[in-house]
Amino acid sequence: MIELVSTLLLSVGAFFYFAGTLGLLRFPDVYCRLHALAKADNLGLGFILLGLAIQAESLAAALKLVLIWPLVLAASATVSYAIARRADTLGIKPWRREER
Amino acid sequence: MTGLEFPLALFLLTNLVVALLAAVRGPTAADRMLLALLFGTTGVGILVLLASAGGGSALVDVALVLALLAAVTGVTFARRAWHAGEKSDD
Amino acid sequence: MNPVMMIAILRRGALLSFLWWILTEGRRDAWVAGFVAIGAALWLSLRLCAPRSTQISVGGLGAFLGYFIWNSVRGGVQVALLALRGRRALHPGTLELQLNLASPAPRIFVANVLALMPGTVSVRLNGKRLRLHVIDERMPIVAEVKALEVLIARMFGERV
Repeated sequence: MIELVSTLLLSVGAFFYFAGTLGLLRFPDVYCRLHALAKADNLGLGFILLGLAIQAESLAAALKLVLIWPLVLAASATVSYAIARRADTLGIKPWRREER
Repeated sequence: MTGLEFPLALFLLTNLVVALLAAVRGPTAADRMLLALLFGTTGVGILVLLASAGGGSALVDVALVLALLAAVTGVTFARRAWHAGEKSDD
Repeated sequence: MNPVMMIAILRRGALLSFLWWILTEGRRDAWVAGFVAIGAALWLSLRLCAPRSTQISVGGLGAFLGYFIWNSVRGGVQVALLALRGRRALHPGTLELQLNLASPAPRIFVANVLALMPGTVSVRLNGKRLRLHVIDERMPIVAEVKALEVLIARMFGERV
């Protein structure tokens, strides 16, 4: 049972990583790519960690895996904001639908 | 271990390489900064999967330290922006 | 020793011990080193961050975490679907709004957290004015930012 749930969670996690990369390739500007990477990859990692945590040998080992998530989230949130601000400072204009 | 960990680690690695090439291609300098994000999330994901695929729990420690360093870097960024932002705008 | 300091030592000591237990995966033979490490971390934390200088409400933190986890799932699912549909699904734009939080720390926190919430990335925070990049202009972004702001205000012990 645990194996099944774990497999499911890991697959869902991998899907979100895939979606993040897909967004990076397909979205038109750095701001949109940021949305894709920041949100999809972090969710992917969350699912992977959860999938591995439920099959961990001890509670402490499971919590250790889960502890990684908030750290990476903190990093992603601050780095995303830093990238967006930098892009704005460089004068990169967001892509708009009307301009096509 | 479900037997899926190693294939998924390889899948994430492929993702990382593809995304890396896309980010390096740009076109702007800000696009290349996306690499910092990629290494954080995908790198940590690969490490924990490999740990579970038989790499040993030491790899979880590596992932944890990587995440911790990324978080400290990020918070330092934010604090710097805070102090700079109170005075001027970049 | 005053009671504030006592409570701070007990709370932080318990938290650090819990953290050590997690990091060593519950191994008993690690507690000798743990005792030294926890003591050092406790001393450092009391020096760098004196008790009561910033008080985070525990209930507020819980409410925020619940909201945060649910919405990061929503945001991830939404952007994944957009990525599958490609460029033609995007309606990006920028949005400028005013934050009501009084002190700068929670405002910076809001600006950073928004990068992980559905449809938003903060571009610039200037005092209380926040400019966002939104991935879909038709979403009710302003209402969601306000909801997040209220939760963060509660966590930092502020009123909006």
